[in-house]
Amino acid sequence: MAKPQISLLSDLTPPSLERTWLTAPHPTLPIVATCSSDKTVRVYSLTNFKLLSTISGGHKRSVRTCAWKPHIQGESVLATGSFDATVGVWRRWDSYGGAAGWGAAAGGNATESNVSRDSSEEDGNDDDAGEDDEEWRFAVLLDGHDSEVKSVSWSPSGMLLATCSRDKSIWIWEDLDDGDNNFETVAVMQEHGGDVKCVAWHPVEECLASGSYDDTIRLWREDLDDWGQVACLKGHEGTVWFLDWESTDNVPRGSSDSTQWREQRALSGPRLVSCSDDRTVRVWGRLPKDNQPPAMSSSAATGIPSIIRPTGTDETWEEDAVLPHAHELPIYAVAWSRRSGLIASVGADGRIVLYEERLATETDPDAMDTDSTAKLSLRTEWSILAVLDGAHGIYEMNHVAWAKRADRGSDSSEEVLVTTADDGSVKVWTLQR
Amino acid sequence: MEMQNSNPTILNAADLPTRLRPTARKPDHVGIFALPSLSPDFLPEASSDSEDENLLEEPIDEQEIYDIRVVLILDLISDHADLIATISDPEHPISLGELAVVSLPDISIKPTLPNVPDSPLKTVTVLITPTITHCSLATVIGLGVRVRLEQSLPPRFRVDVRIKEGTHSTGDEVNKQLADKERVAAALENGALMGVVAKMIETCR
Repeated sequence: MAKPQISLLSDLTPPSLERTWLTAPHPTLPIVATCSSDKTVRVYSLTNFKLLSTISGGHKRSVRTCAWKPHIQGESVLATGSFDATVGVWRRWDSYGGAAGWGAAAGGNATESNVSRDSSEEDGNDDDAGEDDEEWRFAVLLDGHDSEVKSVSWSPSGMLLATCSRDKSIWIWEDLDDGDNNFETVAVMQEHGGDVKCVAWHPVEECLASGSYDDTIRLWREDLDDWGQVACLKGHEGTVWFLDWESTDNVPRGSSDSTQWREQRALSGPRLVSCSDDRTVRVWGRLPKDNQPPAMSSSAATGIPSIIRPTGTDETWEEDAVLPHAHELPIYAVAWSRRSGLIASVGADGRIVLYEERLATETDPDAMDTDSTAKLSLRTEWSILAVLDGAHGIYEMNHVAWAKRADRGSDSSEEVLVTTADDGSVKVWTLQR
Repeated sequence: MEMQNSNPTILNAADLPTRLRPTARKPDHVGIFALPSLSPDFLPEASSDSEDENLLEEPIDEQEIYDIRVVLILDLISDHADLIATISDPEHPISLGELAVVSLPDISIKPTLPNVPDSPLKTVTVLITPTITHCSLATVIGLGVRVRLEQSLPPRFRVDVRIKEGTHSTGDEVNKQLADKERVAAALENGALMGVVAKMIETCR
C-alpha cells in the first residue's frame, strides 16, 4: 500500500498580496472566503480556483476571521471580524448574476453543483457578474468589542453569532432575522483571563467552545436564559489558538462493529480538538452525565466549588488524547473532517500534518477488571497519516479547513484541504491514499 | 576584515521581498527601529513617477545593505564574535548594543526544523536584558526588536525575541506577548501603539 500523500491540487488565484489569516468554506456552495490583512475578504471558486469577488470597504484594519451563516436559502451571509474591533455582516443573493455568477466563474462544469437551475436561467439577462464588487451588500456592523476581534462563529441553527476579542470577552448576538438586519446582544461572557482567540459552536447543540491566551478552553451553555460557563478545560501550556468539533456521526477506522462506539458517543456527544502554542494538538471528550464521578472532579473542572455553582449544567470534560508530536513551532489551526474523521493541523513551521484515529485492537480483555472493560475496549489510537513540509514554501500557515472537492462535479464525495498562509497564498490539497 | 559571506542563499534577492516591502525599506529616523508606514497607499511601487524613483533609490539601497549586513552578522555571529561591533552602523544612530538590551552571546541562530535537513527555515533567538525593569517598556522594546528583525530578515527566518531569564519580574508575561503573532500583527496596525514604540525608543538614546 502506497504511503498516503498530500498533493497540491491548485492555488486560489490571484492571491492576496498580504498575509491571509483564514479561509472559510461555504456550507453548501463550492466557494470559500479568505480574510486578509489588506482589509478585504476574497471569495474564490473551488470549482476552478479563481477569484469570484472581493469584499472591501467595511473594515479599517486586517480582517482576521469570517464565517458563513448556515441554513439560509437563496442568499449567502458572511460575518467578518476585524482588528478594528468590529464585526461586519455581508449579504449576497446567490441568484445575482445567476448560477453562472458562481458557476460560470466556476468553470462551466458546475451545473450539477448546489446552485439551482432556476437561477441559472434568470442569468440570461444579467450575465455581467464581472461587477462583483457591487454584489455584496454590507448589512450591519456589530460594535461592542473594545479591541481586535479574533474569531466569529454561527450557531448550528444560524440564529446566534458568537464573537470574541483581545478584550477577553465573548459576545453572543442573536440574528433577529427581521429583514432589517437587527442583531441583539444575548450575552457577554468575561471569564477568560486573556485574549479569546477562537470560538466554535457544537455541531448540533447550542453549546459554545472558546480557546484563549489564558491557555484554557471553556464551554458555555444557556441555562434559564443565562449564558454561563459549564466547563473549563486545562491542559495546554500555551495559548489555545484554534478549536474544532468532531461530527456527530464520526466512527474511527478499524471498527468492524461500530455499535458500541456509537452507543458511547451518543451518551457523551462529539469531542473537541484544540491546538496550541505549546506545539500540541489535544482531543477532549465529555464524560457521560450518568458516568460522572461525584462532585469533586466536577468542581475541579470549573475551578469553582460546586457549592457555589449549581452543578446542574456543569459538564466534566477530560483530555481524551494528545496527538503524536509533529510540530516544532506554534500550531495555529486544526480542522476535524466531517467526512473522513481525519484531523489536520498547520502552524508556524509551515507543515501540514494529518492524523488518523483507529480503534485499538483489544489486546487482552480478560486482564482488565470487569469495571473498565467497556471503556478500554473502545480505546482509540491516533497516528500520523501524512506530513508535508514547506507547504507554502518558507511561509507560516495560519489556517486549515476541510471542504468538499468541487472541481470534478458535485457528486464527488472526495474532500480537499484548504490552507492559508502569511504570503497571502491559499492552496487546495488532496490526500492520495 | 575578511568577513565575506560564504553562504549565497542569504544574499538571494528572491529571499527578500515579502517582509521587505517598499515601506519597510524607506529611510526612517528612529534609528534601527524601522516602523512600518501606516498609509494604505504604499503597495504599488510608483515606478512610473521617475522623480519619486530617484528620491527613493538611494535610501532603499542603503537600507538594503544595512539589512543584509545585519543578516550576515547574525548568521556569522557564532564564528566571528568580533563582528558585533559592526551592528553599530554609523548611519543609524542607535544600535542593538547601544540600547544595552542585546549583547552578542544573547543572539543565536539555529535551524528551525533540525529534522528536515533541506529546510531553509532558521530561528533567530534574541534575548533582551531590559535596562529598565518597567514592564511596559520592556514589552515595547521587545516589540521594537522583533519588528525590526522581521523587517530586516528574509521571511525564512523565524524571529524569537525574549526577555533574558531572571532579568525581569514579569518576563514570562512579556515573552508570551512578544511571541504572540496575532498581537504583534495587530500592534503593527495600531498607529498609536507604534507611535509609543517610536517615542520610547527615542527616550532610550
